[in-house]
Amino acid sequence: MAMRQAKILLVVIGLMTVATGNGPAWNIKVIANPSVKGDRVSIRELKNVYLGKASALSDGTPIEPVLARRGMAHEAFLKQCLDQSNEQLQLYYRGLVFSGKGSMPKEVNSDAEMVAYVARTRNAIGYVSADANTDGVRTLNIESPASRKLVTRIEPEYPDILRANRIGGVVRLEVTIAANGTVQAVEILGGNPILAEAAETAVRKWIYAPARSQTTLEVTIPFEAR
Amino acid sequence: MRFRLTTTLIAILPLLAAGSLVLRAQEIKIAGRPLEVHGSFSQGFMYTNQNNYLTDNTTSGSFGLTDGSLNLNYQIFNKLRVGAQVYDRKIGAIGRGTVQLDWALVDYRMKDWMGFRAGKVKTVLGLYNDTQDSEFLHTWALLPQSIYPVDLRESYIAHTGGDIYGDIPLKKLGTLSYTAYAGQRPNDLTGGYAYALGAYVPTIHVTSYTGLQVGQDVRWATPVSGLLLGASHQSQDVNGKGIMFNWAVLGIPDGSPFREGTVRDFTNQFYVQYQHRKLRIDGEYRRYWRNHSLYFNNATTPFNIASDSRSWYIAGAYRLHKRLEVGAYHSRYYADWNQTHNFRVETFTGSGDPPDNHIFDWTLTARVDLASYWNVKIEGHFMDGYGSPDSVHGFYQPQNPNGFQRTTNLLVVRTGFNF
Repeated sequence: MAMRQAKILLVVIGLMTVATGNGPAWNIKVIANPSVKGDRVSIRELKNVYLGKASALSDGTPIEPVLARRGMAHEAFLKQCLDQSNEQLQLYYRGLVFSGKGSMPKEVNSDAEMVAYVARTRNAIGYVSADANTDGVRTLNIESPASRKLVTRIEPEYPDILRANRIGGVVRLEVTIAANGTVQAVEILGGNPILAEAAETAVRKWIYAPARSQTTLEVTIPFEAR
Repeated sequence: MRFRLTTTLIAILPLLAAGSLVLRAQEIKIAGRPLEVHGSFSQGFMYTNQNNYLTDNTTSGSFGLTDGSLNLNYQIFNKLRVGAQVYDRKIGAIGRGTVQLDWALVDYRMKDWMGFRAGKVKTVLGLYNDTQDSEFLHTWALLPQSIYPVDLRESYIAHTGGDIYGDIPLKKLGTLSYTAYAGQRPNDLTGGYAYALGAYVPTIHVTSYTGLQVGQDVRWATPVSGLLLGASHQSQDVNGKGIMFNWAVLGIPDGSPFREGTVRDFTNQFYVQYQHRKLRIDGEYRRYWRNHSLYFNNATTPFNIASDSRSWYIAGAYRLHKRLEVGAYHSRYYADWNQTHNFRVETFTGSGDPPDNHIFDWTLTARVDLASYWNVKIEGHFMDGYGSPDSVHGFYQPQNPNGFQRTTNLLVVRTGFNF
C-alpha cells in the first residue's frame, strides 16, 4: 500500500513537473528605464523591438532598444532571445541603414555602460549579465512560453476502462493561455484519443499566473498504467 | 560631379578605415541625439575568357568595378527619422563615376503596422532590390544577374514619391510586412539601357528616361523559423526622349527627335528565403512584361516592341567559419519567353534555346571576412548565352565588335569596406 501510494505520488509529481514546464535558466537580465511599465517582457516582444518590427511593447509602451557590442551577456542575449549570431544581426541592421529603412540602435561597450545609459534614457531597454549591478534600472522577467507559472492544476481523470486494461501513454497538448491566466484553447497534438480527451478536460480548468500577453506552450501529460 | 573615381577612392580607403574608428569613438550629436554616419567602398577585378562583359575590356582583365556610398541618419524623435545617402559607381562605362543622390527621405512610423516614407526612396522589390548596392551585405560579388542586373540597376532601384509600409503580427502565424509605393523613376542616364542606345549604330542619345512607378510588396515571415515568402509587383509608365544620329539609311536626318512611351509595363516577382543557423537558401522568380511604343522623328504611327522576359535563380550559402562563407547559385534569364524554342527538350547547357535569347549562369563564391568591416570575395561564373541585343544584360556589341561567343567564364575578385 505504501509502495502504491509512493508510486501515485511520483506520478503526481511527474505531472506537476511536466505541466509547469520549468523555463530555461537565464544568465542575463533584461533591464529597463523606470519609465517602462510592467515587470515582464516576452521573447517575441524583444525580437520585434530589436529587429525593428515594433517600436513598442504589446501594451503600447514605446521602447528604445540598446545593444551591447560584445561580451558574454550579448552572446547569450543573441542566442536565447533573438536566435541570431552577431554577424547576422549586424548585417541585418546595416541592410536597414544603407537602404534607408532604419537606423542602428544605440550600442554600448559594457554592462556598466548599458546600465548607465538605460538608467538615464526614457523608455530604454537593454540586457546585462545576471550578476551585473542594476542600480537605477528595473529588471524585467523574461517571459518565455515555457516559463509561464501554473497556479492551479486539476488532475485529469484516468478513464476506468483504460486503467483496467492497463492502457497508458503520453498525451501532448498545445495550450493557449490568455493574458489573465485562463486557458483559452487546447489542441490535442498526440496520444491515445480517450486519454487526450480526459487530459483536455482537466487542462481547460488550469489557471496560470497573469502575463503581459497571451502565450502558447506545449504540455505533456503521462498516464501511467499500473 | 565627375572625378577619377578609382584612384580617388583607393586613396581615401585608409582614411575611411581611420575614420571609422574616429566616428565610432566620437558620437556626433545634434540636440542630444546621435547623428549616424555610415559609408562603404568596394573595388573589384573582372576577367573573362571570351566576350567582354559589362561594357569593359574584361578579356584583358579589368578593375572597372568600383562603387562607394556615404549616408547620414538622424532620429529626430522615436517615430520620426530623416536620412540621405549619396552613391557613386563606375562599372566599365556604366555609372561613369557620377555621384548621385541615392536616397533622401523622411520616415514617420506612426504605428508599427503603418508608417510613411517620403522623398527619394529605395524600392522594395524582391529580396535584394533595395540592398543590391551594398555588396558587403551579400555573399556574392555579383548578385544573380537574371534578377539584379548591375547594368540595369536604374530600372528599379528607387522612386521619388512616397511609401506606406508596416509590420502586422499574426500571432501564431508569424508576421506580415507590406510596402506600397508610388513615385517617379529617377532620370538616370548612366545605366546600361541609355548606354546601349547611345553606343550602338544607329544611335539614340537619350536625354530623358523617367516615368511613374507604382508597386507593392508583401512578405510573410512564416511560423516556420527562418522561412520567408514574398511577392512584389510594379507597374510603370515610361516616358523617354532622345536625339537620333546615324539613321540616314532610313531617311531620318541627324538630330531628329525620339520618343518612347509605355503601352503596358509590369513586373511580377515571387521569392522565398530559408535561413537556419549557418545555412541560407534563396529563390526568386521574375516576369517582366514590356510593351513600349517608339516614335522616330515625330512619326504619328509608333513602332511597337513587346517582350515577355522571365528569369529566376536558386542560391545557397553556408558559413563555414566566422571568417569564411561559401555559396553557389544557378541563374536563368530568358529575354523573350515567347521566343524560347524547344524549351521542353533543353538541357542545362541551354542547347535548345538560342544563345541570343538567354543567359544561364552557374556561380561559385567564397567570401572571406578579414574583419567586421572588410571582406574579400572570389567568384567564378560559368555562363551560357549572351541575351538579346534589344534587351541588354551585361553583353554589349561595342565591346564585342566581332560578335559573341556562346559561353563566357568570368572571374570576379572584389573587396569591400564599410563602417
